[in-house]
Amino acid sequence: MDTQLSRVVDALPGLVWTALPDGDIDFLNQRWCEYTGLSVDDAYGRGWQTAIHPEDLPELLERWRSILAAGEPGEMEARVRRFDGEYRWFLFRTSRLADVSGPVVKWCGIVTDIEDRRRVEEALRAREGRFRSIVDGLPALVALLTPAGEVELVNRQVLEYFGATLEELKARAIGPRFHPDDREDVLARWRESVETGHPYDFEARLRRADGAYRWFHTRGFPLRDTDGHIVLWYLLQTDVDDRKRAEALLAGEKRFLEMVAGGHSMSEILEALCHLVESTASGCYCSVVLVDPSGTRLEHGAAPSLPASFITSIIGRPVNVDSGPCAMASYLNEQVIAPDLTSETRWAAYAWCPMALAHGLQACWSTPISSTAGKVLGAFAIYYDEPRAPTSLHQSLIEQFTHIASIAVERAQSDAALKRSEAFLAEAQHLSSTGSFSWRVATDEITWSEELYRIFEFDQGVPVTVQLIGTRIHPEDIPLWRDVTDRARGAGSDFECEHRLQMPDRSVKYLHVVAHGSRNQDGRLEYIGAVQDVTERRLSEEALGKLRAEFAHVARVTSLGALTASIAHEVNQPLSGIITNASTCLRMLAADPPNVEGARETARRTIRDGNRASDVITRLRALFSKRDATIESVDLNEATREVIALSSNELQRNRVVLRPEFADDLPPVTGDRVQLQQVILNLLLNASEAMSGVDDRPRRLVIRTERDDDDRVRLSVQDAGVGFDPRRTNRLFDAFYTTKSGGMGIGLSVSRSIIESHHGRLWAAHNDGPGTTFSFSIPCKPEGVTSAHRDGAIRTPAVTDPQYFAVHA
Amino acid sequence: MTVEPALVSVVDDDESVRESLPDLLRQFGFAVQAFSSAEEFLASDYVRQTRCLILDIAMPGMTGPELQQELMLRRQEIPIVFITAYGDETTRPRMLEQGAVECLFKPFSDTALIAALNIALRAD
Repeated sequence: MDTQLSRVVDALPGLVWTALPDGDIDFLNQRWCEYTGLSVDDAYGRGWQTAIHPEDLPELLERWRSILAAGEPGEMEARVRRFDGEYRWFLFRTSRLADVSGPVVKWCGIVTDIEDRRRVEEALRAREGRFRSIVDGLPALVALLTPAGEVELVNRQVLEYFGATLEELKARAIGPRFHPDDREDVLARWRESVETGHPYDFEARLRRADGAYRWFHTRGFPLRDTDGHIVLWYLLQTDVDDRKRAEALLAGEKRFLEMVAGGHSMSEILEALCHLVESTASGCYCSVVLVDPSGTRLEHGAAPSLPASFITSIIGRPVNVDSGPCAMASYLNEQVIAPDLTSETRWAAYAWCPMALAHGLQACWSTPISSTAGKVLGAFAIYYDEPRAPTSLHQSLIEQFTHIASIAVERAQSDAALKRSEAFLAEAQHLSSTGSFSWRVATDEITWSEELYRIFEFDQGVPVTVQLIGTRIHPEDIPLWRDVTDRARGAGSDFECEHRLQMPDRSVKYLHVVAHGSRNQDGRLEYIGAVQDVTERRLSEEALGKLRAEFAHVARVTSLGALTASIAHEVNQPLSGIITNASTCLRMLAADPPNVEGARETARRTIRDGNRASDVITRLRALFSKRDATIESVDLNEATREVIALSSNELQRNRVVLRPEFADDLPPVTGDRVQLQQVILNLLLNASEAMSGVDDRPRRLVIRTERDDDDRVRLSVQDAGVGFDPRRTNRLFDAFYTTKSGGMGIGLSVSRSIIESHHGRLWAAHNDGPGTTFSFSIPCKPEGVTSAHRDGAIRTPAVTDPQYFAVHA
Repeated sequence: MTVEPALVSVVDDDESVRESLPDLLRQFGFAVQAFSSAEEFLASDYVRQTRCLILDIAMPGMTGPELQQELMLRRQEIPIVFITAYGDETTRPRMLEQGAVECLFKPFSDTALIAALNIALRAD
């Protein structure tokens, strides 16, 4: 039996041993001796210990002792040296050999080779360690959660971020780790994932150990067993704070640009910007000040979170380096950083720092806001209630903010300017009864100004079509209008026309249309034009025609008044000679002896002067005799000489130096001599009058006759007077227009009528030097004019009855 | 004893006056010089000798009143009788106020002229 048992023991696939209750070995099987190379004698007692790896021995013995003490079976692991010196891992299993009731009789054990298993385990452990270090090294928060959502394991980043140990994390509630604004959503989503097993994907702010919140993107995946039950949740949380901030800023920027485009007021936009910066860089206060239009003072922009008393003490300060950081930044167009106002020495002249400190502010960073053209519009300031210097984050915020602010301010300013100019334009259009339009020919798209709607009496905003316009065109003018528009469609050149409108109440309006055609990049034709309501002008022209006839009469009277003095002088001169000579003659005859020869001479002079006076009267009678327009051949030189003779004293009295420049070969003209002389007289007196205030240069007057182009004769009267306003050239000839208190203006309008009735024209032009030249040009006498043609040779002035030009003597 | 006749100068741009008036004045027994402009008179040698000046008001160039001013500046206090073919009721008082002896409107009578000359020469 013993032998057979011994064979069995030796055949067991393990090293078998027995030991006494005190632990000494008293049996080892054959395999043990073969493996260790120790003989039974060597190994008995405590000799076996030499085969155990020295590093493992103490623990093995310790364990063995405790097993012995407990009297319970146990297991130990240790490396055992093989006969060839190689150590392999073995599992020591031991149990009691005992009587049923009694104490331990003996211990037996089996030692099995677990080297291969240990190797696998070690490899596994090494791999796990590597994974662990990888997970710990991941730039993300990684957590393993139980199916119920309880924390099981986290990586190093989690511990560092929250500043807690795993145990603390396990013990604490999950909610407070999130930003209060996100908490509810986070928990709801997490509960949903836990209940449904759907992956979790959410972004929320996590509270860092130092209290700051950062945005994390959290993704959770369930790990399922083969039956599909969730055994674990993997949670990967990535820091997306920078991205979120960038997104928020971008969204903010987009929102602000929308606000700018949407016409929000500048102060609204600037306030919203301040709020954005304040919420992005927590703990700061923002303000915007603007540079006033004169560029010398600060104006309020926005400061939603700063005390009003602080702002009021900043605005109105001069833009210079001394009055404060914002004024300085605006003045220098560069950033001004004051990280600690308690030690700041600038702006002392205006006591800025004490003022800011009194409001609890200790740091100020002010940055200029510049237009695209580089002009400083204002300054943006960030304040802190503790000393602080800007970080790069702050700087990028500031850069972005000032950029948007500059857009908002510039836009607001250009909007205001645009509104002003639009208002001016609308006002100007209204005042001048002028509307403007654009017309895209290909599509017949028509845009109208407000005033044009008013002129056409259409409701504002009604879409304007060619057909709609057609309903207002006066029936008689429709062919004209069609013709003009048809030609405009084809030609693409500018057009101008006058036509009438017939309004629903049958009233008629006169319109003057001017349009300029141009082609856009696509070659499409577009007209930009102006439409003026000239109804009143037309009506007043008609009324004026009547008035002008009446005033021509007044003109004659006025001219007479001006001439009276001249005539008196003209007649008095020869009269004076006559009387003096007659007196002399008498005295010579009364002398003793009488001076007969002298008397004869003076008598001759008396006769001569009498004739001279008679000539004057004859000329006056010719000029002022009652007569209708008479058509005759007129030598303009001769006619002019007569006028000069008649007015020479008037001219002399005004100290006018008159220089006639008459062309020798001047052909005769056909016309009414007296009417033409009236015109010449009028021009001479006007010229004389125009120089009455001239004292710094000769009052030179040149009257010139010459041949003009196209068989015409021209007469010019050139003065050295004060001239007239070039913008008023056309008005010079208006019946009521005069630049002089003397009131010769009416004469000009009548003069023009006379010249036009002679198929000529009368105009005024500035001299190169001082003064003005008035000229008229009329046709020469046509060949072979006979009395039969006379009636048709001169057109009666259109609006003036010719009889008014003749003076009733 | 021969008394040198007093010199009366006539300044008038009108030729008929320069022609007729000196003859009349000579009939009165004056020596006469006639000038066609104020400038011509001022440039002549007769300014100092002139006892009375018969002066047209409106002349091209220097006017009668301007000549009067000029003479005052030169401290040549010659009595002046203005004559004019052009004037209204305000002309004479204005001239008298400015120091003229008389102001006659053309045409004037020989008696009006001699009366004015008498005043002028008495004042002298």
